[in-house]
Amino acid sequence: MATGFSLTKIPGVRFLQTKSRTRGWPYIASWAHRISGVMLILYVLLHILTLSALKNPDDFDNKIKFYASILPVFLEWLLAVPVIYHALNGGRLILYEIFGNRQDNLILQWLPGISATYMLLLGIFMVMGNQAVSAILFWTYIAAASVFISYLTVMKIRHSGASKLWKMQRISAAFLFLMIPAHMLYMHLDPSIGRDSSVIIARMNNNFIKLIDLMLLISVLYHGAYGIIEISRDYVSSHRVQAACTATIMLIVAFFVWIGMKLTVLI
Amino acid sequence: MTSTYDITLNVHRYDPDKERKWIQTYQLEAGRIMRFVDVLRKINDTDDSTLAWGSSCEHGQCGTCSMKINGKPLLSCELLVENAVKYFGTTTFTVEPLDVAPVVRDLVVDTEKAYERIDRVKPYIINPVLQDEDEMEHQISPETLERYVDATRCINCFCCVSACISSHENFLGPNAMLAAIVRIMDPREQEKQERLDCLYSADGVYRCHSSQACSFVCPKEIDVAHFIALAKEGAL
Repeated sequence: MATGFSLTKIPGVRFLQTKSRTRGWPYIASWAHRISGVMLILYVLLHILTLSALKNPDDFDNKIKFYASILPVFLEWLLAVPVIYHALNGGRLILYEIFGNRQDNLILQWLPGISATYMLLLGIFMVMGNQAVSAILFWTYIAAASVFISYLTVMKIRHSGASKLWKMQRISAAFLFLMIPAHMLYMHLDPSIGRDSSVIIARMNNNFIKLIDLMLLISVLYHGAYGIIEISRDYVSSHRVQAACTATIMLIVAFFVWIGMKLTVLI
Repeated sequence: MTSTYDITLNVHRYDPDKERKWIQTYQLEAGRIMRFVDVLRKINDTDDSTLAWGSSCEHGQCGTCSMKINGKPLLSCELLVENAVKYFGTTTFTVEPLDVAPVVRDLVVDTEKAYERIDRVKPYIINPVLQDEDEMEHQISPETLERYVDATRCINCFCCVSACISSHENFLGPNAMLAAIVRIMDPREQEKQERLDCLYSADGVYRCHSSQACSFVCPKEIDVAHFIALAKEGAL
């Protein structure tokens, strides 16, 4: 007897369907937020290590050639999935926790559509690879919008009794909400923007761009470190092991902040 | 319309005397408007009198009969067989005890242990607001009550704790948070700081990641995540 194809026969779909019935879609979104967050912090560390080769431009150009081939470019495009998902879902959580929006199912419904649009846009820019935009103009707009969103967040949670570290996590999230998707988009407007050492060094020599890069570096690493520490605290019961996890994560992050700052300031 | 269903129950069992865990399968005919407590009672009456489970009011008011059915924490006195078949799309059900405290036997968990979390937030008025001598009772305006009355309907069934994305060991739990929040929002209570300290402690609201599973599974339809979000926002 012929059996019709059903999406629920796919293991992942069946798992999601079961979870949506037993915990709800925001629960699934929260797990996806965690997984995408862990993926992104690992990528950021790799990204900083790769960029640290800029100390020797020839060495950097040699290394970056690998990233210009088809598969790495495709993987880079796929990286936009956790980037845009984490940003949009993070925005949903900030609206829920801080701005009192309780209609976040609507945002969850819109999330795949907005993500797909972003992916499409990024893909088009990557394929075209011929866009020219002033770095100062682009980052002035994006940074101004990000600072404004962060300011609104600060004003909203300044009276909360929650800890300063927790508040900083939310403020860094608000700041990165536009900055990271914009960073990814900007870097792929033209291949030379992210892969030609002379173009990168010329851009990073500008003090305004240095400031933007420093703000990105510190907020991304703070946000990532806090996120990983919080995940460990959810599951590690022993206070001693918790303290060891926190110290290890802070040491690793401090090391990468140092590499990033050295690169940004001294270049 | 089907009047009966042939259902299969895979029940997670535990014998504390032999420290043995196993899954036992029961197959039985169940009427469409039988509740899961009725199904379990039928098993006791006809198949296996050793199967242990708990219930008290069986009207969704005490939280004693909470358990996980096909992974969803719920009150077994509220779930009709017909609704379960429609909701899960199957006539086979896995029945487990809630994973919020050690299992005493089969589907019964150590309620005293589970309640230790609630006790920590002191779910009662510690320091009542003094009234004028001529006032016989506290008066709460409808507007004030409206803000938190939903939260007072919690029956501590622990379904929210079981569903939460956070681990059960390091988080006091959504229902304990709710109990603290109720007393912070309650104008009859003067002692707010002690509860705020508990709320913002390491095993307090920081362990909540707004996965909203607590609101999703709450049998009393309390939007638990909403109240915890108010605490995070500082809007209590």
